[in-house]
Amino acid sequence: MLKSPATHSSTTPLASNDETSKATKSRSDFWLNAKDKYYAWIFLGPSLLILGVFIFYPMLKTLYLSLFLTNTVGKPTVFVGLANYINLLTSADYLNSLAVTMVYVLAVTAITIVLGLVLANFASKQLAGIGIFRTLFSATMGVSVSVAAIFWLFIFNPSTGFLSLVSTWLHLPQIGWLTDPTWAMVAVIITTVWMNLGFTFLILLGAMQSVPTTLYEAASIEGATPRYQLFHITIPMISPTLFFVSIITLIEGFKSFGLIDLMTKGGPTNATNMLVYRIYKDAFYSGNYAQASAESLILTVIIAIFTLIQFKVLEKRVNY
Amino acid sequence: MKKILAFLRAHILPVIAIVVVALGAVVYTSAHNQVSAKPGRTKIVFWNEMGGPAEVALDQMVDKFNKSQTKYEVIPQYQGAYDEAVQKIIQSHGSSASPALFQSFDISTAQMMHSKYTTPVQKFIDADHYNVSDISPVARSFYSNKGKQLAMPFNTSQPVLYYNATLLKKYHITPPAKSPSYSDVTRVAEQLYKRSGHKVKGMTMEIYGWLMEEALANAKTSLVNNGDGHTGNPTKINLNNPTTKNYLKWIRTNIKSGDFVNYGSGASAETNEIAAFLAGKLGIFVQSSAYIGQLTTGNKDKLGISYFPHPDGKKANGVGIGGAALWISNDKPKKVQKGAFEFIKYALRPDSQANWQKATGYLALNSKSQSQPALKSLYAKQPEARVPGEQLAAAKPNNTNSGILMEGMQLTRELEETSMETVYDGGSISKALSTANQGMNANLKTTNRANHDYQ
Repeated sequence: MLKSPATHSSTTPLASNDETSKATKSRSDFWLNAKDKYYAWIFLGPSLLILGVFIFYPMLKTLYLSLFLTNTVGKPTVFVGLANYINLLTSADYLNSLAVTMVYVLAVTAITIVLGLVLANFASKQLAGIGIFRTLFSATMGVSVSVAAIFWLFIFNPSTGFLSLVSTWLHLPQIGWLTDPTWAMVAVIITTVWMNLGFTFLILLGAMQSVPTTLYEAASIEGATPRYQLFHITIPMISPTLFFVSIITLIEGFKSFGLIDLMTKGGPTNATNMLVYRIYKDAFYSGNYAQASAESLILTVIIAIFTLIQFKVLEKRVNY
Repeated sequence: MKKILAFLRAHILPVIAIVVVALGAVVYTSAHNQVSAKPGRTKIVFWNEMGGPAEVALDQMVDKFNKSQTKYEVIPQYQGAYDEAVQKIIQSHGSSASPALFQSFDISTAQMMHSKYTTPVQKFIDADHYNVSDISPVARSFYSNKGKQLAMPFNTSQPVLYYNATLLKKYHITPPAKSPSYSDVTRVAEQLYKRSGHKVKGMTMEIYGWLMEEALANAKTSLVNNGDGHTGNPTKINLNNPTTKNYLKWIRTNIKSGDFVNYGSGASAETNEIAAFLAGKLGIFVQSSAYIGQLTTGNKDKLGISYFPHPDGKKANGVGIGGAALWISNDKPKKVQKGAFEFIKYALRPDSQANWQKATGYLALNSKSQSQPALKSLYAKQPEARVPGEQLAAAKPNNTNSGILMEGMQLTRELEETSMETVYDGGSISKALSTANQGMNANLKTTNRANHDYQ
């Protein structure tokens, strides 16, 4: 996936940077001969069929539904053009969902990567018993969403939860972790970061271990501090991995569903009503397929924009 | 190029062949893997949403029915949560995968009625001369329209007020009346909070649209026009009315005195309030009568139960029900539909209903169930278990306590809950209600338009 610009240049007939490909490029290379065409269909056919049935048809159907109002049984009845989109983009409720999703996604991505980096930096040191810490730090990878949600629900319980007990002992004011709109967002972010951390840590640790030790040795001889080494050797060297992790975490953040469903159901006061959760609720609670379709398409566009920005901006800072 | 093609021929084609064969095998087996009934019996697929102890009790009921006769075989299939099941039922209608008999929850009634995907049970009641007068009138009225029974009420509960009788006794507090007023509940909650030295919270009310609707029902106030939808399709919603304001003001009074604790909304709120109640940290909460089993087993304290509270100076109108009903799909042959009704009749027999209440906490709907041995032994052990049934029997059905026959109730509830959240969080009551009301009316308008006003 990271190498996609490279593979692109070999398949597209453009390849202006490559002298040799210019020479071999002929008409028959682009317009395949009959035999090649036959093979192309055999090889591409099954995947085209599967993509068509499971990806393209649902996508077109979603687009179609989003232009109608749907009745009791989910059938499109009244054509309304772009009214569903206009209603959504002018409704305070939907804009709120958009805003809370952004806050959530950006906070989760930033915190996960910073914490993952810190933990991986500690764990990459060769110390006695480091294996135990590595296992502990990556342990949340094996925890399913439902288990994590239930685990944190116990911690956040206002009467019997661990956090409420601690604040009672310390005579601190009680926090309505899941009932106060601001804190509910914090609680959901904490839980998501906790869940993501294992995977991020492991990936970053793997990347750090593949950085040649000679670089550090040379830097140490030159008298570079560990801090200098982190920012000028480690981070640049693992930048492709950081890029990968940031995209994965960001997209996962947008898709976050299970935790929200189990912990807050989008509440309180829609404070954690993320875009994906809204789509689910509109479609499978309210049966409002038209609106849910419009929301899906808006979400698709948003994720595409974010991914594009990451490829354009972040990739420039990546050293392969 | 040739080399590549040779490679592909040698390696990729077999892989494709294997995938195609595997896919074919999956399709073939799934097509032939349909549930098989015993030979000679008519198969009745029954979709339900009962989990936990209720699922066990339901399976037992089905098993007994299947053994009681030789014509039909009911096959229960668990379908997950109520909300999602509604969409599954609607979207699978007319296909071979659709159920013959299904359970669908209270607020989906208008949707099921408008879908025209079911045969109203009234047809079978008339054909069989089945006597419905034994079945709870307030439960029946929830699933009927203009005198016609659309579906048969099944698992039914009502909200009741639970209190910790042991704690009240310990702090010398008079328990709330059998049918308490708002101020009576506030009195108990405040006394408990003060006299326990702020160790025990007085009360909670879950952020749950159902409870707000029941407060409206108990005060004989309509939420939507056309008699809460019972005399015609609703066209206007009025959430911002004196009754809801009064209800939220009551809650706010308790929030201000500090005796109130907010557990939020959803299943986790219910789990948390029950955990706090059982731990002796919460004195009063209002919740479905179906929780009674959970609140008695493993509770070291004595449980007290009162009716759903009513506004001061107003007579309690009686609350509506919650739960779900049994519907018969009209996409199956007559023989199958008849078999489905045979099972419904079996499920509502006095003994079936008595066993059902004992096992699940849902209320026995057959008035003759009260004298059945199962319930008699239950009441002997827990006299307070009588209270929800008494509340159900006391309610005389009218338009305001027979549910709101309007589509889009799921979204309406969500908006009700958002307004409650705003108020619990300190926001203005009338502003929260009018914002929710606007959203509800906009949604109702769209729904009516999408369905061409059900013409």
